[in-house]
Amino acid sequence: MNPSVKRTLALARVWLQQVAVLSMKEIKQLLRDRALFIYTVYIFTANIIIAAGGASNELRDSPVRVHDADRSAESRDLIYSFQPPRFRLAGEVDSPTEALRLLDRGEAQMVLDIPADFSASLWRQQPTHVQALIDTSQANTGYLASSYAARIIARYSEGWAERNIIRAGGDPRHLPAIKNDLRVWYNAGLNDKWFNTISELLTMVTVACILLPAAAMIREKERGTLEQLLVSPLTPLQIMLSKLLSMMLVMLCGTAVAVFGIMMPLYSVPFVGSVPLFFLLTALYAFTNAGLGLAAATFARNSAQVGLVVLLMVMPIVMLSGTWTPMESMPAWLRALMFFSPLRHFIEVAYGILLRGAGIGVLWDSVLAMAAIGVALFALGLARFRSQFA
Amino acid sequence: MNLARVFAVAQREWREILRDRIYFLLAFLLPVMLMLVFGYGMSQDIENIAFAVVDEDRTPASRDYAHQFIASRYFAFKGYLPDADAADRLLAQRKLRVVIVIGPRFAEQLRTGRTAQVQTLIDGTFTTSTRTIQAYVEAINQAANAGIRTGYLARRLGLPPEQVSRLMRPVVLEVRYLYNQEVRSIWSVAPGLIMLILMLVPPLLMALSVVREKETGAIYNVCSSTITRAEYLAGKLLPSVSISCVNAAILWLLATLYFGTLFKGSLLFFAVATLLYILCTTALGLLISLLVRTQQAAMIISLVMSIIVAIQFSGLITPVSALSGGNYAIAHAFPAMYYNAVVKGAFLKAIGFEVLWPQLLVFAAYAIAVFFLCHLLFRKRTRT
Repeated sequence: MNPSVKRTLALARVWLQQVAVLSMKEIKQLLRDRALFIYTVYIFTANIIIAAGGASNELRDSPVRVHDADRSAESRDLIYSFQPPRFRLAGEVDSPTEALRLLDRGEAQMVLDIPADFSASLWRQQPTHVQALIDTSQANTGYLASSYAARIIARYSEGWAERNIIRAGGDPRHLPAIKNDLRVWYNAGLNDKWFNTISELLTMVTVACILLPAAAMIREKERGTLEQLLVSPLTPLQIMLSKLLSMMLVMLCGTAVAVFGIMMPLYSVPFVGSVPLFFLLTALYAFTNAGLGLAAATFARNSAQVGLVVLLMVMPIVMLSGTWTPMESMPAWLRALMFFSPLRHFIEVAYGILLRGAGIGVLWDSVLAMAAIGVALFALGLARFRSQFA
Repeated sequence: MNLARVFAVAQREWREILRDRIYFLLAFLLPVMLMLVFGYGMSQDIENIAFAVVDEDRTPASRDYAHQFIASRYFAFKGYLPDADAADRLLAQRKLRVVIVIGPRFAEQLRTGRTAQVQTLIDGTFTTSTRTIQAYVEAINQAANAGIRTGYLARRLGLPPEQVSRLMRPVVLEVRYLYNQEVRSIWSVAPGLIMLILMLVPPLLMALSVVREKETGAIYNVCSSTITRAEYLAGKLLPSVSISCVNAAILWLLATLYFGTLFKGSLLFFAVATLLYILCTTALGLLISLLVRTQQAAMIISLVMSIIVAIQFSGLITPVSALSGGNYAIAHAFPAMYYNAVVKGAFLKAIGFEVLWPQLLVFAAYAIAVFFLCHLLFRKRTRT
């Protein structure tokens, strides 16, 4: 072999060894801080389990109160069609003012008001009006409550409608109907646990990947150990790379534990797509986020500043990237801005690979965006690395 | 407790905050910026759902049916697709979230009084919005059904359509939305955001204060002085609580004046409840600061606790009553859920002390309990 090539190879080996040693130092530092270690284990295990039982907008045992001015067999029939799992009859009220009071206190989500001439109108073939007062201080569940109530009323009135039609001389068995068959794809049972656990994993990886490297970097800056590293034969690239690599390694291990140890066995979350692709892109995501954290750290002078700056970036990223709030209803300028959120792209990747079995052919644009953001941020951090001490 | 010593600690802490200009600015800017971004972005309305139609019938009747969805403000029509395969592909690529497939002989079946088949394919990845989309589709389908049946019967029986429509709908449901008449989510979101931001920022402002002194060793000055533990902790709390109170006032102004949310309740009640809530969340930050040894740990733990509690256990996105057993209990262990009832009550429902006094008691007890815990955990003599 050519001696100069040999020398380059030997140098490269030393260079890589230095990065490996530095990365090991980062990991040891993380694991030796007992609070941080417990936290790292927690986010990939117990926290996923807690999230599985969490958020769902499904209406479950929503308390319904009834003001029944008719007190007939017909009105009772209607009342008793409000049943679990969606609704729960929480009792009757004597007056509309009492109904309002119960709604105020949150002891009812819906109050049904049945008029005194309810059964009489039904028999006279006159439309009768039932009023539903619905608490919509929670806009989403309020809408669902009203839509399920409408469905129950529609089913109840079917029998009466048929009677009316027969008496008018029609044949209710031969009526045109449109049967709309709803098919839910990729999560046929609408299992919230799939969505919740994946979303929680992504949120936690995001927060950890941005904050931990930023905090590690600022600590070295505060203590002056970073300047010590700079006067050593190490280059800024090696120092930053070691922080990224250690973060990637921790996140990959954690994600593997969460996916194979918790999500798949406990909640039967499917893994339809390619396993290597998923972990490769998880590593890329960790790189992108760590780049964001390191770049932010070069702008801050102390831990307190970095904490506030990270919160300012993390919260919009977590809340507005498409899991907690729908992207579609955002104003266009904000949607354009969210293009720069790495999580926005990783959501496509993670849900795509896990639930839909998407391959690189579908995901290439998300991957490209993530890589571009990561490289740009990493370059920014590197460029500011020396000047930050000025 | 010697108040002079409390103020001395507070004053020193305050000076430290003031001298770090960037930090001082951020402490006030951060809540405002979060409020603006979320106020615009965090709408819970599910609108503009990308959908397409596969029309295998191609008749005026099927086009009419498709139009019911196209005209809805909830759906954004992306065009007709040639076949179901194209639908599969676009759903998999997330270009569409809903595809409506109208079967062949749609018009013929309706004309002859039979049942026509339609299929709706919905992307179920995001379960919460999928459920709302299902409700939209069923409502539109029901309206279409009613129209077609009424027309059919009116022709058959020779009756005016209004009369047939009365026969077909013996029970009419009139829905009245309370507290948020137009179901506009900014009104329900803005009060929730005050809860969210006051859960996020005060613990973080507090979390670093003691642990920073532990890292630099400045804590030994305190340990060797005559100041008592309670005086030191109270002095530490004071500046953060004052900053957060100013922030709460700014957030309230933003919600009412800038976002135009109605404030129906009593301002006095709201102010008292908010002060107590801030005491609770700041004390949580102090507790974290005492428990950990590094600023890195303090930051990440306070941040993650705040995010998890504020999003999942506060009733911000899903009501606490819908949480399952263990999570229901966790939600009750943090102040956010109680304060959510307070902001919703004070902003939307015009209720105050008379209904929500138990919440105030919870805050007071909570703040005292956490402070007491901090007092227990904080040792002037380090363990050897």
